[in-house]
Amino acid sequence: MRGVKLHALLLALTLIAVGAGSAIYQVTVLNIPVSPSVTDPVWVIDARVQFRATANNPVKVQMFVPPGSERYLVLNESFISQNYGVNVARVGSNRQVTWSVRRATGEQTLYYRKMLSRRFGGEQVAVEMGPQFRARPALEGPERIAAEALLAPIRQHSADVDTFISETIQRVSNLQDENVGLLLANDTGIARRAQVIETLLAVAHIPVEQVHTLRLVASQSQTPELWLRSFNGTQWTYFNPATGDQGLPDDRIVWWIGATPVAQAEGASRPTVTFSITSSEVSAIQLAQESQIVRDSAKLSFSLYDMPVATQEVFSVMIMIPVGVLLILLLRNLIGLQTLGTFTPVLVALAFRETEVIWGIVLFTVITTAGLSLRSYLEHLRLQLLSRLSVVLTFVVILMALISLFGHKLGWERGLSVALFPMVILTMVIERLSIMWEERGGLNAFKAGIGTLVAATVGHLLMTWPPLMYFCFTFPGVLLVMAGIMLLMGHYRGYRLTELLRFRALAGKS
Amino acid sequence: MIGIWRALRKRGVMGINQRNGDYVLRYNRRRLYPLVDDKVLTKERALTAGIRVPEMYAVVDSEHGIGRLAKTLAERKDFVIKPAQGAGGDGILVITDRFEGLYRTASGRLLSEDDIGHHLSGILSGIYSLGGHRDRALVEYRVTPDKVFGAISFEGVPDIRIIVLCGYPVMAMLRLPTRQSQGKANLHQGAIGVGVDLATGITLNGTWHDRVIQRHPDTANPVAGVQLPQWQEFMTIAASCYELTGLGYLGVDLVLDRDRGPMMLELNARPGLSIQVANDSGLARRCAVIERHMEQLEATGRTETVAERLQYCQQKFATGELSLASVPVSS
Repeated sequence: MRGVKLHALLLALTLIAVGAGSAIYQVTVLNIPVSPSVTDPVWVIDARVQFRATANNPVKVQMFVPPGSERYLVLNESFISQNYGVNVARVGSNRQVTWSVRRATGEQTLYYRKMLSRRFGGEQVAVEMGPQFRARPALEGPERIAAEALLAPIRQHSADVDTFISETIQRVSNLQDENVGLLLANDTGIARRAQVIETLLAVAHIPVEQVHTLRLVASQSQTPELWLRSFNGTQWTYFNPATGDQGLPDDRIVWWIGATPVAQAEGASRPTVTFSITSSEVSAIQLAQESQIVRDSAKLSFSLYDMPVATQEVFSVMIMIPVGVLLILLLRNLIGLQTLGTFTPVLVALAFRETEVIWGIVLFTVITTAGLSLRSYLEHLRLQLLSRLSVVLTFVVILMALISLFGHKLGWERGLSVALFPMVILTMVIERLSIMWEERGGLNAFKAGIGTLVAATVGHLLMTWPPLMYFCFTFPGVLLVMAGIMLLMGHYRGYRLTELLRFRALAGKS
Repeated sequence: MIGIWRALRKRGVMGINQRNGDYVLRYNRRRLYPLVDDKVLTKERALTAGIRVPEMYAVVDSEHGIGRLAKTLAERKDFVIKPAQGAGGDGILVITDRFEGLYRTASGRLLSEDDIGHHLSGILSGIYSLGGHRDRALVEYRVTPDKVFGAISFEGVPDIRIIVLCGYPVMAMLRLPTRQSQGKANLHQGAIGVGVDLATGITLNGTWHDRVIQRHPDTANPVAGVQLPQWQEFMTIAASCYELTGLGYLGVDLVLDRDRGPMMLELNARPGLSIQVANDSGLARRCAVIERHMEQLEATGRTETVAERLQYCQQKFATGELSLASVPVSS
């Protein structure tokens, strides 16, 4: 006996650990929201390209668009391009879209739209290798002297490539410095400074690349922010050329890399590109349910959301049945509530889904009472059990038809909701109640009937509580936890709450 | 609440969860249940084992058998008809006498042979059986209750329930019908339960609807202090029912017939827990004593006879503190 108990205990604890573990893994690692009310910003970035085509010439416009990233998931990408041909190609570490048309005249506007979500991560992108050495550019005269004057202290104050770059950015930011002033040649703009930093680092054989980023904040027209990046042999390190900060903040997305402008045109005026960013709050799980891309992003695969929507709906109801069963188990074994069997209250609770609680209770009470009174009348006729039950069931159907008919005439919409499923369950309840009536007497049958009604109502409220439904459906590991609790309850030997009342005469004098 | 819980635990009161898990599930194998659910099987077993039961006059298992019954019973003036798998005393017809070709029931109604046939066919079709299965009808000797119960009983036949753990009687209760229970000795239906001292067979206080009572609600006579006659005989029958069925946790229901003495009436594989209130004592504690005793016996490789088992229980579970004030005159 002790061995069996230990076995059950270990099994229960294992189930609970596995179930809870899988839920915790889903929450912490896969970042799946715990509640359906968790919303997630979906970012919509619009790039508007405007240019003027010179009279009836072939036009070719090229614009950089963001390459994939593991920081975010692309939900949607679209090119709104009227009659232009669209072609997307990879150019180095960039992606470039090419719009082309045979003839175009006047003001032309093209759009590129991208929708991003940050919660569900992005595609795995292999780190591309970058250069680690660069030939020294030819600098002449005063510029060479200024560069070397700047580099000498930088070399002294730095330990490795990263600190060397930071130090260089710091030095160039000091606009008072004569050497810096000379190199900048009166242009203190960030682009010129980046250029100077690049030159200085080139003298030290350190290659850097310019990176143009956008920041994910709602804004009407955003200028891409310039960053520098350098490859240290295993990964890229990003530097802000204005401040020397290291590391790209989370809310930046890389748009393109290199010193070339974002868009170029042939057969047209130089295009201007304006970026506008908006965000909308979308329920995270709705996003997961609706977006095939999110589901395909591997983090939600093998979950119940992988199924077709219709099947999902059936499962979201089915997965709540163990919750109801667990509730009945606790109500019966801990509290001592009398119900008709274990599953009947759960089935009645399921029937309440179709009739709604209040109407369900009324229906349950009226029809059960009528069925039982009919039964006690038939008892006088001394019929055999089977034929008596058949008569009762037939009258239940007639009664339901009458209720539906009256409901329809009186305009109660609910009256018609008497579906097949609740009817089958109700007749089953009447059968069980009448058997109990015969075996244990009317009072016990009444108690069990009330107990069933209470358990079914509580069960229904619990089983249709949206946060719980969402939780069980999203984290199916909960089922294992429940199975574990049920196992533990199987070895519960304590008193039921009602027994404390029943035996209180024995507790009086101890 | 927690106070009550602790007090009950301290006194070793058994709850339903404990009964089901630690005793019924552990000691009673499911496949042995038919032996106690079917009264005909129980009786046949008891007869071969030499345990005294009400004599079986006939078993009716077909409509054809109903017709032949009148001939079989031609010699009998009184008898009882029972469904073999009935529950809660439903469907029991007690015939006390004959009158001009008619049968007189315990309540004084006169029934024709056809009426009896109808009742029998009702039993066969399963009106009274658990779950409505087809059933058999059992016709047996009518027990006449001993006079000792006259003052503390209302109609019907009082019976004695003894709970037996692996052949060791652990607790006993006398069940007395009341007006509310309509002559049935069933606690659920309002009969009262009276504790019995295992050592002496003298009654203790009673319980009615889980309350402790001192007097019978109908006759107002005190229920305590009545000496049950032939107590050792009752105990012996109860203790031997373990070997009879193989069920380790058993409620044995016995009656005391005016002429034939103690008889075993039926067995119950899930005996109720109200017996604890009647005896003002916890079942779990007593069962634990027996379980420890059995472990010791097993360690020494010894088994005990029925007599030895009785002696052990009567010595261990003697109440022996009956105050003289509560001893009434048993008329």
